[in-house]
Amino acid sequence: MTQANRAEYVLVDPTTEPVVAPFDGAPRLASLAGTRLGIIDDSKRNADVLLEELIEVLRTRYEISEVRWHRKPSASRPADPAEMARLAESCDAVIVGVGD
Amino acid sequence: MSAYQRTVTASWSDVIGALERCYELGWTDGLPVVPPTDYRVREFIEASGRDSSEIVGELPERRREITVGHVAANAVMAGCLPEYMPVALTAAEAMLDPVFNLVGPSSSLGGAGILVIVNGPVATELGINGRNNLFGPGNRANATIGRSIRLILMNACAAVPGLFDRSVIGHPGKYSYCIAEAEGETHWNPLHVERGFAPTDSAVTVFAGEAPRQVRAVGRPEAILYSIADTAATLGTSMSTGGSVGDRSAGVRQGEIVVTIAGESRLWRDWSKADVREYLHQRIKRPAAELKRAGVMDDPVAPEDEETMVNLIGSPDDIMVVFAGGEEANMSSVIPSWGPKVGSTAVTRIVR
Repeated sequence: MTQANRAEYVLVDPTTEPVVAPFDGAPRLASLAGTRLGIIDDSKRNADVLLEELIEVLRTRYEISEVRWHRKPSASRPADPAEMARLAESCDAVIVGVGD
Repeated sequence: MSAYQRTVTASWSDVIGALERCYELGWTDGLPVVPPTDYRVREFIEASGRDSSEIVGELPERRREITVGHVAANAVMAGCLPEYMPVALTAAEAMLDPVFNLVGPSSSLGGAGILVIVNGPVATELGINGRNNLFGPGNRANATIGRSIRLILMNACAAVPGLFDRSVIGHPGKYSYCIAEAEGETHWNPLHVERGFAPTDSAVTVFAGEAPRQVRAVGRPEAILYSIADTAATLGTSMSTGGSVGDRSAGVRQGEIVVTIAGESRLWRDWSKADVREYLHQRIKRPAAELKRAGVMDDPVAPEDEETMVNLIGSPDDIMVVFAGGEEANMSSVIPSWGPKVGSTAVTRIVR
């Protein structure tokens, strides 16, 4: 076959792009001093051990006023939206991460 | 095509050029694909009787919306026939059901394959194999419907190996993993009937599973089930692992399993599927001592731990029994779930 035999085709792209709704993040905190801290424990092994240690460090350094702890029922599931709303309502800062 | 779906203009002079162009575009699973030309994709959409822009499901964690058009393009590439579209669409819908939590099994280190089990008249109509070489090669409907699901995962759900798909070892079922139940050859109720549908319904069940473990046990039903239970109760599955669940009361994560049973149905004439589930549920256990030695449970081994049995499956209902496989022997397979039931639960949907 030669270049002259080339034909054009229209292919349907099988991929997707992220569809991200615009959102405004919460204002950043200048300091953690005296703040109410939320914790999302992803339920991975030892996540609680690490997070408890972290809270102790933050208490010592910043005098965190209170801690609200939420453990997810499953590491791989998103956090419950109702719990997220409660955390947003009752905390100034939330720590979340994935550990293994 | 819909607003959601872009097109790419490509040119080639022969079939090799066409296949290589699809590789360059990054759309394959490593094997050659059928180029998703607009006219072929349109044929598939028409066969589905649905609109190309209709949303089949969403993957919110990756901000993806998957349409009928996306399913069609990937089904074309997988080598499906247009008439397979209703099954591919149903499987895609089922795995995008929030209960299935696709983000888990499609990203996790555990490396799940999405097993598609087809029941009802559609399995016969499309020639989906439920007998010899159940998980093996040689049948277009099984091979391409299963492959369409993997291509949808990779292309439309961004579950690209090394990117969002972080499987440590994966398994061959991640290329294609689709079976039918040989429901015309057993007195047992088909899986979809056990899960609440009518025998005349066609239905698709999706299950995030490890690879099938063959159980080479023959003879009496009790002997076969004893070996199936032993295989299902091994250390090293997700079910016999700890962690990643908020509720630690069971001692292990537990999970669902699929059990396929082959051979001649008359061997099981005195057994119902419920009997099989009950028998297996009572035996898929490990002593706490062994789970502790394997590091699954933390505390030191106490003398009573040798006798304390830990259930690896929460309920008999978490065992899905499928009569399938060759008629040559009563061989079976056990497919442990990728993760805990709370992390991903099997979903059955009716084929529209």
